[in-house]
Amino acid sequence: MLLLGLRNVFRSKTRLAVAVLLLALPVFLLLVLQAILVAVETHTETLKHNVDNSLQLRARGSMGHVNMEGNETILPQRALKIARGVAGVAGVEHYLLAMTPTEGHNFAMIVGVNPGESRRLESHGEAGNPRIIAGRALTEADRGQRVAVIGQGVARWARITPENLAVATLTLDLKRTHPVIFALERPPATLKIAGIYASGYVFGDLQLFVPLYTFREIYGVPEGISWLFVRAVSADHLPEVEAALRRDLGGVADIIAPIAAAEFERTTTRAVRRFAAIGTALAAALMMIVVFFVTLINVRERTREIGTLKALGASDTGVAASFLAEALVLAALGAAAGAVVFAVVGSLLEGQLFGIAVSPFLPAQYKDALRGALAPAAGLGPSGVAWFLLATAFAACAGSAWGLRQVVKLSPVEAIRHE
Amino acid sequence: MSEPASDKPQEPVVLLAQVTKFYRKGAQEVRALDGIDLRIEPPGMVAIVGPSGSGKSSLLHMIGAMDRPTGGEIVVANRRLAALGDADLTAFRRQTVGFVFQTFNLIPNLTALENVMLPMEFNGVDKRERGRRALVLLERVGLRARATHRPGELSGGEQQRVAIARALANDPPLVLADEPTGNLDSKTGQLIYELLEEIARERTVIVVTHAEPLAQRAKRVIHIQDGRLVQ
Repeated sequence: MLLLGLRNVFRSKTRLAVAVLLLALPVFLLLVLQAILVAVETHTETLKHNVDNSLQLRARGSMGHVNMEGNETILPQRALKIARGVAGVAGVEHYLLAMTPTEGHNFAMIVGVNPGESRRLESHGEAGNPRIIAGRALTEADRGQRVAVIGQGVARWARITPENLAVATLTLDLKRTHPVIFALERPPATLKIAGIYASGYVFGDLQLFVPLYTFREIYGVPEGISWLFVRAVSADHLPEVEAALRRDLGGVADIIAPIAAAEFERTTTRAVRRFAAIGTALAAALMMIVVFFVTLINVRERTREIGTLKALGASDTGVAASFLAEALVLAALGAAAGAVVFAVVGSLLEGQLFGIAVSPFLPAQYKDALRGALAPAAGLGPSGVAWFLLATAFAACAGSAWGLRQVVKLSPVEAIRHE
Repeated sequence: MSEPASDKPQEPVVLLAQVTKFYRKGAQEVRALDGIDLRIEPPGMVAIVGPSGSGKSSLLHMIGAMDRPTGGEIVVANRRLAALGDADLTAFRRQTVGFVFQTFNLIPNLTALENVMLPMEFNGVDKRERGRRALVLLERVGLRARATHRPGELSGGEQQRVAIARALANDPPLVLADEPTGNLDSKTGQLIYELLEEIARERTVIVVTHAEPLAQRAKRVIHIQDGRLVQ
């Protein structure tokens, strides 16, 4: 009987084609939604553990630049130890900052950083490491050395190019002033330039990174911290980390919590999850409706045949099984067609969807990353495939249930007499 | 020394006692069968004749366990149908009776051979054996050469011959034919009747028909009118 059911799928080629197309559409949508969901979850998982989970601490009411008028107060060194001891903290990075006047650009920022840690840029702490375009980044071997990595804006001002980088040096004159920069009675410091970076924005390129202890030595700051970045384990840990830091360091520090980013992550994930769940339910319902009508039409059209089979001694369950097999094969063909369409046009749609519809609502720093991660073709893992097959089988079973009930209920004589 | 067979009282293959079948059509109660008493001994062909709506097809369906009576007792091949559950009735249909329908009722996407094999598949016969027996049956009805043809590629008479072969698939003691020549021209109908007559030499064939001349070829003719047997 199962074989008969399988052969019945191909009885009407036109109906089969229409049904497969009608099934392929919701299957395609279901696959796209699943892929988006998987991609968003994967990406937000990354976001949770990375860039958007950092709080920024500065001395109260100060920008924390050691030579900036009215902003020279820095955090006490103990802030580092306290921050490291807070539950839910995944990592802590600390920086020292100073300003130096430059021709044409007013000033550049000097940043003391632990080699290997992120070269965070002012006001763009989430940007992470800007790209090295010539030379190299700072390494452990540079610790305490008079060496620096500079932005391409500083390089232009200092006339340093990739070609002369090997012999390039830059001298910091700490006595030079500016309306917002005061002089420090410290000797000038000449730094060997190891690399040039590009950050993608003007002020980001007007910075100079030196090893932290080199900074302390040049500017005479034996202890203290300009900016402290405290990274929570995940966005979910942010509130408790923020509360602990406010409790322990609130008296000396301004704490800038990335609530917007965390909230964005949470709401985006939640919204996409709901969107995908509703879409998946709708797609499954559409599949069920198609299977429902196709099965019902088949049962109506083949009522006499059902009666004949029963008259010949086929059991009710046997006849129903043949219709179920037919529905399963039909759903499988529709699913396969949908999967093929998904594979072929999925990436095109992704480009349209995220290029036009979603991108304007995404913060600039997430757009490219999200868009890349949301490519549907890359989004469906083994569990997604298993889920998809289960959903297809479920739609076939649930969609054909009513028709199968009719098959079982039909008495042979009623079926035989059916006109 | 054994008794001569003719002196031995024969077991009936069909026995009906006060069988009634009522159903409602709107507010009206229709008496399709009204107190039918009937005894049919094997073998041979029995014709049931009567005008349209007289209850002859209903009677055939009751005997073939396609429908349950409202009242009375039906015994076919020594089995009391009232005592059988749905699963047993299904088994009864595939083992004890073979149906031949007016409109042939072949499965259109199966070949003649596959159509004949179908009841054997329901009866759990091994595939190779099914094929062998189906070919023998198609040979018997003169259609071995058309075994791989689908019903749409066969004439009406050929389709009915396939249907008769299908009815014999599980070698049932009783064949029930409902207007088997109703959709055929008289010449083809004649051939089908001859085939049924031949089959009736070894088993019981009950034929429902409008056609009185054909009915006269049966060993017994039962007249039915308004759900009652007419003597």
